[in-house]
Amino acid sequence: MSRFKRIASNYIFIRVVRALLTVFIVATLTFFIVRLMPGNPVEIYIGQLISQYGMSFQDAKNAAAALFSLDLDAPLFEQYLHYMRNLSRGDFGVSFLSQGTPVSTMIVAYLPWTIFSVGISILISFSLGIILGMIAAYRRGGFFDLITSTIAAILSAIPNYLIGILLLIIIGVQLGLIPVSAMRGTVSPGITPGFTWTFIKDIFSHALLPILTYVISTIGGWILSMKSSTLNTLGEDYVTVAKARGLSEMRIIFSYVGRNAILPLFTSLTMQMGFLMGGSALIESIFVYKGIGWALGASISQRDYPVMQAVFLIITVAVIVANFIADSFYSKLDPRIKVGGEQ
Amino acid sequence: MDTRILSIEDLSIEYSNVRGKVKAVRDVKLDLYKGENLALIGESGSGKTTLGTAIIRLLPHSGYIKKGKIIYMGNGKEYNIAQFSETELRQFRWKEIAMVFQSALNSFNPVLKVWDQIFDTAKAHGLNNRAIVREKAIDVLRFVQLDPERVINSYPHELSGGMRQRVLIALSLFLEPKILILDEPTTALDILTQRNIIELLRIIKEDMGLSMIFISHDLSLAAELADRVATMYAGAIVELGNVNDIFYHPRHPYTLGLIKAVPTVSSSFRELYSIPGSPPDLINFIPGCKFYPRCEYKIKDCEMTEPILVEVEPRHFVACLRYKEIADGR
Amino acid sequence: MSLKHILKSIFIEPLALISRDKAGLIGFIILVGILFMSFIGPYFVKLDTEVKLDKIYQFPSREHILGTDNQGRDIFSQIVNGGKDVIIVAFLAGLISTLIAVTLGSLSAYAGGITDTIIMFITEIILTIPQFPLLAVLAAFIRLTNPTMLALIIGFLGWPALARAIRAQVLSIRERDYIEAARVLDLGRAHIIFSEILPNMLSYIVISFIMAMTGAVYSQVGLIILGLVPFYGHNWGLMIQLAWTRGAIFYKGSIFYILSPIIAIALFQWSAITFTRSLEGIFNPRLRTGE
Repeated sequence: MSRFKRIASNYIFIRVVRALLTVFIVATLTFFIVRLMPGNPVEIYIGQLISQYGMSFQDAKNAAAALFSLDLDAPLFEQYLHYMRNLSRGDFGVSFLSQGTPVSTMIVAYLPWTIFSVGISILISFSLGIILGMIAAYRRGGFFDLITSTIAAILSAIPNYLIGILLLIIIGVQLGLIPVSAMRGTVSPGITPGFTWTFIKDIFSHALLPILTYVISTIGGWILSMKSSTLNTLGEDYVTVAKARGLSEMRIIFSYVGRNAILPLFTSLTMQMGFLMGGSALIESIFVYKGIGWALGASISQRDYPVMQAVFLIITVAVIVANFIADSFYSKLDPRIKVGGEQ
Repeated sequence: MDTRILSIEDLSIEYSNVRGKVKAVRDVKLDLYKGENLALIGESGSGKTTLGTAIIRLLPHSGYIKKGKIIYMGNGKEYNIAQFSETELRQFRWKEIAMVFQSALNSFNPVLKVWDQIFDTAKAHGLNNRAIVREKAIDVLRFVQLDPERVINSYPHELSGGMRQRVLIALSLFLEPKILILDEPTTALDILTQRNIIELLRIIKEDMGLSMIFISHDLSLAAELADRVATMYAGAIVELGNVNDIFYHPRHPYTLGLIKAVPTVSSSFRELYSIPGSPPDLINFIPGCKFYPRCEYKIKDCEMTEPILVEVEPRHFVACLRYKEIADGR
Repeated sequence: MSLKHILKSIFIEPLALISRDKAGLIGFIILVGILFMSFIGPYFVKLDTEVKLDKIYQFPSREHILGTDNQGRDIFSQIVNGGKDVIIVAFLAGLISTLIAVTLGSLSAYAGGITDTIIMFITEIILTIPQFPLLAVLAAFIRLTNPTMLALIIGFLGWPALARAIRAQVLSIRERDYIEAARVLDLGRAHIIFSEILPNMLSYIVISFIMAMTGAVYSQVGLIILGLVPFYGHNWGLMIQLAWTRGAIFYKGSIFYILSPIIAIALFQWSAITFTRSLEGIFNPRLRTGE
């Protein structure tokens, strides 16, 4: 096979191309929505400046251009190129409300917190969920299975933001276990970042409620799908043969049943990462946890368009990257996925 | 001198089902001698697979041994496999008795390399030295006429069906068991591969001293490889004898029917024969002989009396009331 | 077939099947109960709009089964009247999503080739974009003025997930033996699609529709809580939003005001999902989902 063909049919290569393409399309879409839709933010802003500050059209246009990092006099296509060039340099424009703050600074300040909370939540939820799901499968029909599956079904049906509000009410207000207002924000004021115990304890206590919300709302799904997948795997011939070969129960559970039962769950993993990043808009707003989701919520309610459009783009990119990582991980785990074009 | 290696006594196996208890194996008595090949022949539902898997206690969840003994005679002692604990079973399986399942297509863990699965098996039986295991693996893979280096580093899906069957056979021989049970070893394989596997099994029979039990519905397999044949119907053995007796003077109508049903290359289309009727209900049995509804030789007594195995000539047993009248087939 | 026979197959048999799965039966009963309460209830229990400042945040009593809100209004009446709007929009959005998904999904699967690649490509792109932020941003840009618009944008963003599943279903059915048989018998493409494939898909489509509906409830209530749906009259989501913005969450006495709509929504979602799961068990007697 020619060298080019071999590279082109490489699984990873295809995924990278697809990821970049999606980012490109979303960035383009964002641009066109902002510029072209009726009632698009640029026009609205110009109108606002004119009516509120009595600016001339030209002055207003210049101000808008500066704010959105756009050259409003140039033909549309040139504006588009200008926008894309800025994006690739990490220039997202400047925030409306916090005049002068580059949006990129805000993103750098908020994004890590969301990745932190969502990332830890997925880890906990997935790990716990698959363990419980496997146990439920092995003890099918028993007491453990009944209780676990019922609770899992109930939890997975409730919208995650409602679980967040419930947690806030029950733990914060009714039981008074957590000083809710003090827990706003991602970190207590005055604490210096670093690998100190104080800092780590502080960020975890602030992230506790959001993480708890994510975990409770997603663990049910993992339990149920792992249970189903495990039951399927247990019926496979190679499990019977493994028993016939005299392998120990532990070995069979981990390397024969477990490793195979997990595989189908990976597609859900990628979907869930996107879903949680999306849900962070609401959940972080509920807890006033200052991550990228909160930023989206705040910018929407304040109609801070540059921030809104940039945050939206960043959230999408984060999801794409996360999906890509999960996919690569999956292709390592399942040898049946053809990675290269050989053979 | 007792050269028996396996002795099954009064074995009855049942499955729990929503409709009732499925009596898959009923009061089976069967002996296996050292170095002999025994074929268990029957249609689906005859109980042959249940009997085979029960020998290594690998019945599915709903199955259980109702009564009887499975005596294994090895290492100078006698063991009742039916009473083994889980730990004893784990050490016993594959080391003393190995089982090759029907078509190895899905018998291997898809995410582990062949080497890992061989080493798994070795480790489970106390062989921890990688070098020794590797050498042994290469030997046994070569014995089944595979390229060891290539196969060892492959994943199961990278091998063809026939290759996987050979690897499974090789793996089954790895710990040098005394008994090898093969469940439909050639079904689901194409004709050429079937021939190859049969040749391989013939070589194994000649070179190694083990006893083999073949479970199949395919009579030609029995004819090629077996020393003795047992035909099963409705969970019981209806005829048992050495291969020549069974094929040349069968005494049970079912065996007769099975033989007649095999089309020969020279027979014409019109001469195709099949045993009329359908398999029996294993939950609610009819009284008397279970083959009665489908039998060409039935008489009034057959309806209420279930025949027991009778020795009609040296080492040839039949369970039929009319064995004296049944002529020599063909 | 006699009338008795027809009635039996529409009402009795399905009920008998549903009741075999206890959880599914409970889900079904609760779902029907909520629908009944939300659509027929309002005729009996009028929305209490009277402000009674001496009865703020009262606990449940015989007069007010669920207590009163921050302006003395009866909570129970608010719950009875609060489901209709949400359910109707969810229904519409689910319908739109399902229609688009079935059309594109089956077209994609049946036609194959370039059509398939293009449709799947678009689906992948829309799927990768996180749905809720997109909805929120759109709702911020397009000022929503009526429920139909809301249903439309939710519906138009919800179809990709379904389309992929439907395509997979059609693909698997297409390969089945009875389709081969129909093709060999030269029964015609339209006949094959409508008389062979779709009837087998019907159950799957119904299930997809209900799942789309629950997704639409999620998106809808989320948007309402963020304050992005200003036109709405009274509904469950609005109750939660008001409770949140008015700080009712942080006040111990107002617990019934905030809990009632949450439980109502959660019950609706749970009953719909559980009922759907039991439908899966009924329609797929092998009791195993997936290929």
